[in-house]
Amino acid sequence: MKIAMAANGSELDAEVGHRLGFSSYLLLIDVDTMDFEAIPLAFDGTGAGIGAVAIAIEKNAKAILAGYIPPHVSSPLLEHDIEVFTSISGKVRDVVEAYKRGDLESYKYGSKTMKKTTLLHSLNRTIRQFASILPVLIGVVLLIGLFQTFVSKEILFSLFSGKPFSDTSIGAFLGSIFAGNPINSYVLGNVLLELRVSLYAVTAVIVTWVTVGIIQLPAEISALGWRFALLRNLAAFILAIPVSFLTVSILRVLT
Amino acid sequence: MWAFLVGVFTLYGILFSISPDRTLKAFVTSLHIMLQILFPLSIAFVVLIFLNHFVKSEQISRLLGRRTGLRGIALSCVGGILSMGPIYAWYPLLKGFREKGISDFYLANFLSSRAIKPFLFPVMVFYFGWAFTLILNILMLAESLLIAKIISLANEGRQ
Repeated sequence: MKIAMAANGSELDAEVGHRLGFSSYLLLIDVDTMDFEAIPLAFDGTGAGIGAVAIAIEKNAKAILAGYIPPHVSSPLLEHDIEVFTSISGKVRDVVEAYKRGDLESYKYGSKTMKKTTLLHSLNRTIRQFASILPVLIGVVLLIGLFQTFVSKEILFSLFSGKPFSDTSIGAFLGSIFAGNPINSYVLGNVLLELRVSLYAVTAVIVTWVTVGIIQLPAEISALGWRFALLRNLAAFILAIPVSFLTVSILRVLT
Repeated sequence: MWAFLVGVFTLYGILFSISPDRTLKAFVTSLHIMLQILFPLSIAFVVLIFLNHFVKSEQISRLLGRRTGLRGIALSCVGGILSMGPIYAWYPLLKGFREKGISDFYLANFLSSRAIKPFLFPVMVFYFGWAFTLILNILMLAESLLIAKIISLANEGRQ
């Protein structure tokens, strides 16, 4: 009997894909022999989730499993008598074993026999979710400690040249590498103003302080994926510059 | 996952052999940060248990899915504005939300809205004046929605 599983890699030791349409592979696994076929999911703009559905139907999969499968994708699967299991996480191999033991019944979508999730079950799941991100989180905190100790503010202040655009970019960069309470960005901004750094640059520091995190980027990638994390931080960094110029320009018009 | 942590510890090892005092100071600083994030991490842990136990993917999809409009925008903005502590303490919870099917638009909006902190307005006004505070926060709110839209457009057609 074959089942289909969204995965972030082409091996059985890969992690289960958290969203069907965003996963790199669809693994078709024979649960009796553990033979499997890894089919890359192409994002060609037509919807990888629907593409995975077509593959599962074509390959006669009995069930499909992923972290999340939206209702518009699960409906055609259920119509073809393919069982849909959502909120699945962990290694593909472990999930297959759990499926074989019948431990995943509470994750079955739309099943009349769906069991109520026990509190212990939820607690275990939460611990797994935390455990999956904790090593990176600890690493990021250790890096922040190193940064705060080894890189002095004087070195960073010396980067400003007096040119509005480059200073604003440097301000945005400074805000991106610092982390902590936003009040610290106000205090630092005030110090920078006293050092005759432009208000454009100070505004950029304040904007990126919270919205961009270079040092904590590994943790964001671990939690939300590299594509989301890189794109969000890049967009926030670039937009911080026009926001800074616009803020100071409007301020000057009004006052 | 573990490779990153091993890499950081290796870096500590190298720096300790060069400058033991400063490396030790960095380690103590990190321990202080870890203590500071314990509280928001604990909140995130409890909220995630609640989320896993009571909230189904379909409910999240209905509230914060791809087509929930103004309600979703308002919820993600308020969530971001009210979330306290460093952002990395919230990553496990955001990961949980994502596994439940929250749209990337609202995740990005939540993360970017965190820049707006009404309870810190008095401090910002003290340093930079009320006009600056008002203009900057309005523009940061607009920026947050724009970032969310960019993420949403970039992912369009992938699901």
